Amino acid sequence: MEFLSLITPLFLALVVGGTFVGIIFGAIPGMTATMAVAVCLPLTYSLGLENGLALLLGLYVGGISGGLVPAVLLGIPGTPSSITTTFDGYPMAQRGEGEKALRIGITSSFIGGIISLFALYFFAPTLADFAIEFSYVEKFLIILFALTVMAALSKDMLMGIFSGFLGIFIALIGTYDISDGGNGKLRLIPPGTEYWLDSGFSLLPVLIGMFGLAAILDEAELGVPKGQSKEDVKIGSGSTFSFSVFKGQAVNLIRSSGIGTFVGILPGVGGSAASILAYSNAKTFSKTPENFGKGEPAGLIASESGNNGLTGGALVPLLSLGIPGDSTTALLIGAFTLQGIQMGPLFIGNNPDTWNAMIFAMLIANVAMFTMMYVAIRYFALVVTIPKHVLFPIILMMCVIGAYTINYGIMFDVWTLLIFGLFGWVAVKLRLEVAPFIIGFILGPSAEIYFVKSIESFGDLTIFFTKSWIAVILWVLIIGSLIASVYMSKRQRKLEARLL
Amino acid sequence: MPFTRRTLLAAASTAALLVQPISAAAQDLPRNVRMVIGSTSTGGDTYQNSAIVADALAEHLGINIKVDAVGATEAFKALGRDSRGTTLMIFHDQSYLGNLYGVTGYDNPFESYTVGQTVAINPGNAYLVTCNSPYQSMEDILSAAEGGERVRVAIQPGGVSEVGFSAMKNAASVRAPGSEENIVAVNTGSQSDKNQAMWDDLADVINGSIQANEQFTQLPQDDQKCMRFVWITARAETLAQAPAEGMGNTTRDELLQYASPETSVTLDGEEDFTFDKEFFFLYNPNMDPAIIDQIDTALTAIFEAGEIQERQKASFFIPNFLPAEDARQHLMDKRDTYSKVIEQISGDS
Repeated sequence: MEFLSLITPLFLALVVGGTFVGIIFGAIPGMTATMAVAVCLPLTYSLGLENGLALLLGLYVGGISGGLVPAVLLGIPGTPSSITTTFDGYPMAQRGEGEKALRIGITSSFIGGIISLFALYFFAPTLADFAIEFSYVEKFLIILFALTVMAALSKDMLMGIFSGFLGIFIALIGTYDISDGGNGKLRLIPPGTEYWLDSGFSLLPVLIGMFGLAAILDEAELGVPKGQSKEDVKIGSGSTFSFSVFKGQAVNLIRSSGIGTFVGILPGVGGSAASILAYSNAKTFSKTPENFGKGEPAGLIASESGNNGLTGGALVPLLSLGIPGDSTTALLIGAFTLQGIQMGPLFIGNNPDTWNAMIFAMLIANVAMFTMMYVAIRYFALVVTIPKHVLFPIILMMCVIGAYTINYGIMFDVWTLLIFGLFGWVAVKLRLEVAPFIIGFILGPSAEIYFVKSIESFGDLTIFFTKSWIAVILWVLIIGSLIASVYMSKRQRKLEARLL
Repeated sequence: MPFTRRTLLAAASTAALLVQPISAAAQDLPRNVRMVIGSTSTGGDTYQNSAIVADALAEHLGINIKVDAVGATEAFKALGRDSRGTTLMIFHDQSYLGNLYGVTGYDNPFESYTVGQTVAINPGNAYLVTCNSPYQSMEDILSAAEGGERVRVAIQPGGVSEVGFSAMKNAASVRAPGSEENIVAVNTGSQSDKNQAMWDDLADVINGSIQANEQFTQLPQDDQKCMRFVWITARAETLAQAPAEGMGNTTRDELLQYASPETSVTLDGEEDFTFDKEFFFLYNPNMDPAIIDQIDTALTAIFEAGEIQERQKASFFIPNFLPAEDARQHLMDKRDTYSKVIEQISGDS
């Protein structure tokens, strides 16, 4: 218990302060947990290792959790991992259950964070050993499994799948980067646009363009709305929150948190896949899958416990192998190197006090996140009472700032935001489906890399079926998910026909 | 006191006068400088090294310097756009190796930009095998290639990671012409991918670093993750400047066993191939040369003070300041040496 000497008032203040700032970053469309950690990374020089980590871990937990606020209240995912939160959170807010949706999201985030922290503390080395059983082949199959959610999320399956493939295609524009093991060559770039498109389109500007700017353009098309009041938007006048909403959701909570943790321990799969997989599974196993996407609390629970489940999981490979599990933990490694601390398989054994202090900081950050967000919900929810002619320019400005800063000041990212905002607005009119498009865009590059590397490494397509027992299990899940999607689509059509 | 327009004007003029000497201290460098780096990682050696130099320079000149990890392509673009001195760049040998290997987005830095001061070396570039590998040394690897065995080396193509691989092929060619065909590249991405390629038995040897892989060399022999160094590319004179305690549980003397001359990867049958990963400044070619002179003067003073060397060594960097003129010549000579190795291998294959 020598680590307790490291738990000073400053340490606690940094965790709590970091969580608060992280929530703010996550809650502003275009700002992310990764950005919050990047901004504060240089501060860790002067704070020392444990205090620096306290700040960064608070930012990490707060940033991931804060993303649910705009996802629920505005339909704009604050971070890429909140995309599935918009599917049910926003419809709930629209029918006057914004406050209830936020409380469900916050509670799910807390439970997801605690379950993943438990897994991190007790099983980190074992999980890391399990993670290295996943080669390119298994990682591709996990991405493929996540991509099957495109079918499940589509209103019109054919159009949804087309939109998903369009998302994948657009995500592949740019250089096949050598840092991903590619050949460094440009592909799919129209002649004359190489200067701008050689790095392709960045995820965050595309995301906030399609969800944020497109929604603003939609509203603008409808004309200047009248001023809104709390009563107009009924943020809390729908059914109120009670913990009984979690009754019958224990399996969903544990499964989604487990999926988040599991995706986190696999380097390179990407944090967004965690909530997408958790959501897809919750829908597949639900007795009322037709309610998903229309304000179903189970969808919100899956999404939020999944993306916070990632927080502990992504630290497993970082602390057990010295390999970051997602983009934010890739920044956390900077805090260690700046302090001259070597990362690798001996880190936990060589630095037990730092390890215990980190776990304690994560625990405090989760509790602080839950407390702060739970108390502040009423104030968060007031955002929807701001008249839209005031709110939208502010959102637009934050989106532009977020797009410009996400890659440390690249103007083309702002153009990307505007291009995809217009595209998102037009896409709906063309019956293209935004959610499958975005999921394709998020997962496409990883799918390509792992597919190409699998073929390069093993020679032919049969390897995807014969590589390991893990591959076989993943195929069972992929096929099961596809069958469930087709079944749900047919059932939905029958229900609609009956209603007509 | 009532705030009239005159009062405010007077206050503004006074403030401007007070600020003037502070601005003047910065001479030609603007007060706010953006230092772009050729890596997108803030956990890597380029960021770490640049942050140390930026901190020291900012403090010495009384200006603000922000390090932005934008990656090579965007960093070169940003540098190309700005000739005012507001954007500076720090990168390493990848900047010319990328050009030698023909990677998209890499122009010849000696023609397209002004190459400036060197500031540090990371002596960590290394090659490793698994503990149960039949190859326990570079001699084993080159003998295996000579004997017709296919040796797979996991690298990230087109730069620092590949240059050691090219040197291995070159050494095999010098030792037994034709045997270089048996040393083949497995193109991977990050360090995590290279490690995974070895654990999946897709590669026999991986490129890595002392910093990232040393702990794996301390694992029990029967652990699947256990690794062993076979070659450290740094010059012995460079590595000898590292702290005596080395890195982790491996002392400097132990590390020196894997570097030339103890571990030999020949360049031409007489000399050994060595590679120090050096970090240096790059400038817009149209930037006022007075700014480069100013940075020369400032860095000379900073390195004479000696504090920066302590910070660099604590992070396992070897201090290596050379003024811009000397650095440019040194790096051009270095580039020419590696160009020959790469041409030789390209001609063979």
